[in-house]
Amino acid sequence: MEYLVVRFPRSRRVKIDGEFNGRTGELIELEAGTYTISLGAPPNFTPARQQVVLKDTSALNPKEVVFDEV
Amino acid sequence: MRSRWVIRAFVLALGILQACAHYPTNTPLESYHPEGGYRFDGLRPGPGNTDTIFLCLAFSGGGTRAAALAYGVLQELRDTTITAHGTSRGLLQEVDCISSVSGGSFTAAYFALFRDRIFQEFEPRFLRRDIQGQLLGQVLNPANWFRLMSPYFNRIDLAAELYDATVFNGARYLDLVGGLRPFIALNATNVELGSRVEFTQDQFDFLGSDLKEYPLARAVAASSAFPILLSPLSLKNHPSPPGYEVPASVSNALNDAATNPRRYSWAKQLMTYQDKVLHPYLHLLDGGLADNIGLRAVADAYTRGFIRRRINNGAIGTLAVIVVNARTDPPESIDMRESPPHLPTVAMKTAMVSMENFSFETVEFMRGLAGDRVQAQRDVAACQRLLDTRCPGLPRLATFPAEINLHVVEVNFERLKDPREREFFLSLPTSFALSDRQIDCLIAAGRRLLRASSDYQALLTELGGRLREDAERAVEFPSGGCRASQ
Repeated sequence: MEYLVVRFPRSRRVKIDGEFNGRTGELIELEAGTYTISLGAPPNFTPARQQVVLKDTSALNPKEVVFDEV
Repeated sequence: MRSRWVIRAFVLALGILQACAHYPTNTPLESYHPEGGYRFDGLRPGPGNTDTIFLCLAFSGGGTRAAALAYGVLQELRDTTITAHGTSRGLLQEVDCISSVSGGSFTAAYFALFRDRIFQEFEPRFLRRDIQGQLLGQVLNPANWFRLMSPYFNRIDLAAELYDATVFNGARYLDLVGGLRPFIALNATNVELGSRVEFTQDQFDFLGSDLKEYPLARAVAASSAFPILLSPLSLKNHPSPPGYEVPASVSNALNDAATNPRRYSWAKQLMTYQDKVLHPYLHLLDGGLADNIGLRAVADAYTRGFIRRRINNGAIGTLAVIVVNARTDPPESIDMRESPPHLPTVAMKTAMVSMENFSFETVEFMRGLAGDRVQAQRDVAACQRLLDTRCPGLPRLATFPAEINLHVVEVNFERLKDPREREFFLSLPTSFALSDRQIDCLIAAGRRLLRASSDYQALLTELGGRLREDAERAVEFPSGGCRASQ
């Protein structure tokens, strides 16, 4: 399995491929592959979504994806 | 004389009409609702279900043998109580999902539909009936001969009618939608693609079809359509409804041929059904051809489905998967002969070998997934402890939303300690007609094997589980024993 952490200044639900799947700041465990990452409402973040490829991560070295507050 | 001609003409006309018989077609999906229909998230946990304890069962194929073994496991879960959130509750109420193939699908569907009534009804209505003889009777009934002459009506449709009338009371998936867990995934195999097809709305979205109106009996029939003995069951692949979009998880996975071939293959098989020109129909055989222990659906839900979302959302504290594997290993004599086996033996072996090949690998795959998670939790905790000691000023590591305890339990006849008992069960036939004694033995074996499993005992220790006192003797085999004769 692969590991992802989504960063945002506030705690927010994370959407992965359009479905709620974890929260910001926590380890999210997924199988290897391509994913579209976004956040739950309100839509005060940028970019609106990001596509990432998860591969060769570990729980101690997860892929980090950052959203900024607007 | 004239009346004789009238009767002949009437019979002929009836025959012609019957020869126009057609299997019931699955209904098209009129509009797309990604959260509607028969999906896990549409079911409620139920009053006795803690939700944080997530229990999934996988029922293998093997005809009535598999159905009875799975039924024994359900009895054992019913008679086991656990302590969770300060209250005592039955472990059976914690069952959240069941994935099944072939014979195991009868038990899974009956339990999902009728719940505790299974313990009063299932034995007389299914386990102790000569289903095989009744199926043969349907085929030999002259009233069905003209229907079977139709290219659109086959032996599997007669079987589905029998199950519908005598086991499932005409139930449709509509009877399960919006109800209580467990969520059931009845699995069949696509004859052309060789891939698993599950009777869930997530799968039927790709077929442009609404599962709600589909009879459970037909899903069970497809799941248990043993090759050669029964014909494939057919579904229509309807055009997608207006507004339908392929889920992002599937379209993203199509980029993963190199990164994750398993995920890519899953998406590619689903996308096959979007080609309505080359695949206007699909024909289904026994789910055991793709996975004879029914565990693939659970493994998929764990890696990329509803179980994965619940884990990442911190909703699960304990995850247990109980695999009920009725695999046998009957004595063979093929290698004793100089001449090669005849066609019927080869055909039967071809069907059976493909059914058995992947079972062991699938259980080990599931154990590997569970082990990886436990190891990852340990690594993060150990590293954080080191950082706290050596570098106390550093930001804390990201952690999982919840630590989960995972248990993979397998029930199979190989675990019986007595060699003659083991031989008795490993030699049982794959059939839909077993004797009362064989059924008694299988039910007791299901309970005994689950109870004896060290993985199951670890689960009970964690959950404060204990057996109801009056159920302690239920593992005893019937008088006369269940042992192979010497």
